[in-house]
Amino acid sequence: MNTIQKKRRTAMILNYLSVIVMLVLFYLVKLQVLKMIYLVLEIIPIVVIILTFRNAFIKSSIWKLTHSSSKELDEREMHLVLHATNISYSLFAIAILVIIYVFILSGLGQIDAVLAISLLYFAHILPASVIAWNEKGETLE
Amino acid sequence: MYNRIAVLRKERGLSRKELADKIGVNFQTVGYLEREEYNPSLDLAFRISECFDLPIEFIFSTKPMKPLSEELLNLKRGV
Repeated sequence: MNTIQKKRRTAMILNYLSVIVMLVLFYLVKLQVLKMIYLVLEIIPIVVIILTFRNAFIKSSIWKLTHSSSKELDEREMHLVLHATNISYSLFAIAILVIIYVFILSGLGQIDAVLAISLLYFAHILPASVIAWNEKGETLE
Repeated sequence: MYNRIAVLRKERGLSRKELADKIGVNFQTVGYLEREEYNPSLDLAFRISECFDLPIEFIFSTKPMKPLSEELLNLKRGV
């Protein structure tokens, strides 16, 4: 594993962790475990999400790759995106099932806007994450 | 799959970007092809062969390819 790939993987892990921290903080406030004032702390994971998103997906052009029309991609890129999308589909389906069960079993109620937006973000970054995790650095920078 | 794309490209003084434009792929794909990390489709293999104006079997092989100098020497010796 080269340095670029290592940095990209680190940024990606931090990105996911920040989303989780943001959600946990939000639900702790929502469930009144923490006081409302703690919502101010959300700014920290949000800043980390933006910075790591830029480093892991934008600078490496992976975001562009997974969000381009198939006409703009060559055969290798199409194969790469298709493979990443296949894996992402399975991961997303499992994640959604787990979330539904957690919500049902814990009595958290309906899925709210914050979780819905996070899931939408998750759905979009998953294919890019699969590529970011597997691809060698120098070829995408 | 083994290939001689890197040697042929350098021999013709082409950059990866220039070759990529000629064969209609992203320049990163040329890197993958040269490092033999990606096997091209038949269509792309033919485009590469047309670009270098060489028979496809001279560029691609399923067995490791000998250096061009060695092949030339063998030809000269009539091996």
